[in-house]
Order: sequence, then C-alpha cells, then structure tokens
Amino acid sequence: MENHEMSSRQMHRFLPTLRLATRVVLAGIFVIAGAAKAYDPAGFAIEIQRYQLVPWLVGAIVATYLPWLEMIAGAMLFVGRLKRGALLILTLLLVIFTCALASAMIRGLGIDCGCFGKTFQATGTLLPFLRNIFLLACAAVLWSERSEGV
Amino acid sequence: MSAVRQAALILLAALIPALLTGAFHHNRPAWSEPIAPGEERLETILGWGSAVLWVDARSEKEYADDHVPNAIRLNLEEWDTLFPRFLDSWDRRKKVVVYCSSTSCQLSHEVAERLEQNGIESVYVLHGGWEAWKTMK
Repeated sequence: MENHEMSSRQMHRFLPTLRLATRVVLAGIFVIAGAAKAYDPAGFAIEIQRYQLVPWLVGAIVATYLPWLEMIAGAMLFVGRLKRGALLILTLLLVIFTCALASAMIRGLGIDCGCFGKTFQATGTLLPFLRNIFLLACAAVLWSERSEGV
Repeated sequence: MSAVRQAALILLAALIPALLTGAFHHNRPAWSEPIAPGEERLETILGWGSAVLWVDARSEKEYADDHVPNAIRLNLEEWDTLFPRFLDSWDRRKKVVVYCSSTSCQLSHEVAERLEQNGIESVYVLHGGWEAWKTMK
C-alpha cells in the first residue's frame, strides 16, 4: 500500500516534467519543419504533388499556407499561449500527415516524406510514418493535461 | 477560450504570412502546374494536327484497355521487338509524342530519351500522360 502511494507520488512529480519535455519536442519539430518548408514553398509544392492526392493548385496553396500554420501553432504550443488550440491543430495535422504517408505506402509510390522540405531527403515514408505515430503519442500525453494553461 | 476558438485564431494568424509568401516570396510556387523539360501540354500537341506519331509507353494490358488513336506501343522491356515496328511507322516529318499513365510516371521520359539516343528527332513527352488525354477527351 505504502509502495503504491510512493510510486503514485513519484509519478505525480514526474508527469509535469514529461509533459514539458513532450511539449518542447512536439513544438520544436513543427517549428523546424515549418521553417524548412517556408524557405522553399515551390519545392514543397512539388513534394505535395508526389503524393498524387490533390490537384496542383490545391498543393500550391497548401505549400504556401501550411509551413506558417505549423510554425505559428508550434510556437504557440512552445510558449504556452493558445495552447489547446495549437495542440488541436498539430494533432489534426499529424493525423492528416500520417494518413497521407500510409496512403503513399499502400500505393507503393516510393516517395520521400517531404515533411521537412528539402532539408532531410531520402527518408522514405516508413520512418516518417513511425515518427508521426510517436508524435501522436506525444500529443496524447499533452491532451491528458487537465488544466487549460492559457 | 475553447480549443476550437483558439485554433481558429491560429488558422487566421497563419493566413497573413501565407498571403505575403504567395505574393512576394522569391521561391513561391507557380499557381499553374509547371512542366518538365521536354514535355508538352496536350493543348499544344493537338495544335500540331496530324503531324504527330503517338507512342504509348504503358503496359500491354493498359494499351489493350484503351489508347490514343493510332498510338503504337514502345517500352524499354520490349525495346528490341517494338522499336523496329516503331521505325516502320516513323516519319521524319512527324513529331513523336510519348505518353505513360500520369504526371508521376517516368516511363515516357525514359522511352523519349532512348529514342533520342537512337537518333530520333523531335521527341516530346505528353504532360500528364494518359490521364491528361482522358480528361481532355
């Protein structure tokens, strides 16, 4: 009984640190990914096209808008302002990215993720897919936080 | 403030730099699809009239299902068999247009390159491939 209380207390102390680390990792990855793509939106539009999911014009609009959304949402999550909204956006983006990667793998497209623009190439789709699953787990940890923190 | 309202604020905030990027970024994407070197749009090719020899670089099954009228088959796997047949149909005055399934397939570019290596002039690749043809027709 005493041991159980001890581990519960330790867990209680450990959770805020875990959430902070998770927040920094999730926010950091999105800020870096967004910045890499915002530097070369034309290149990112081509990466989107390789998925063969949307017409060129839609891809071009996404390539112009998405990097900034990633950066702003990532930065908001990092500084703790509009945190739940930022987390909502990043979670939805992760779900969309993961579905797109799964679809590319199922169709055997043999493309690169394009998640970081041209910064990290030749990553394939499996590794980014697994990374996204990890990031979704990070998002789940942050959703478990009860306080709004705004 | 609810998470959805916060998200809406962030979505709106991202619009401002995105609009500036679309208007002024030195490397902003083109709003119409760029075409690769050696490719031509279907509208341009149709403007050439009958002076075109269509080459289908897709599989035999895809060709059998449907193809551009009078197109002849040619691909790298069956090159030795199909290239002599291509030469029978080829006329120096005609432009050769190679197509495969879609924008993403590379077969048409590979066949076009091989044709040029074999001394065939005026070789083009149909931008968008068979999908572009189907959409237009």
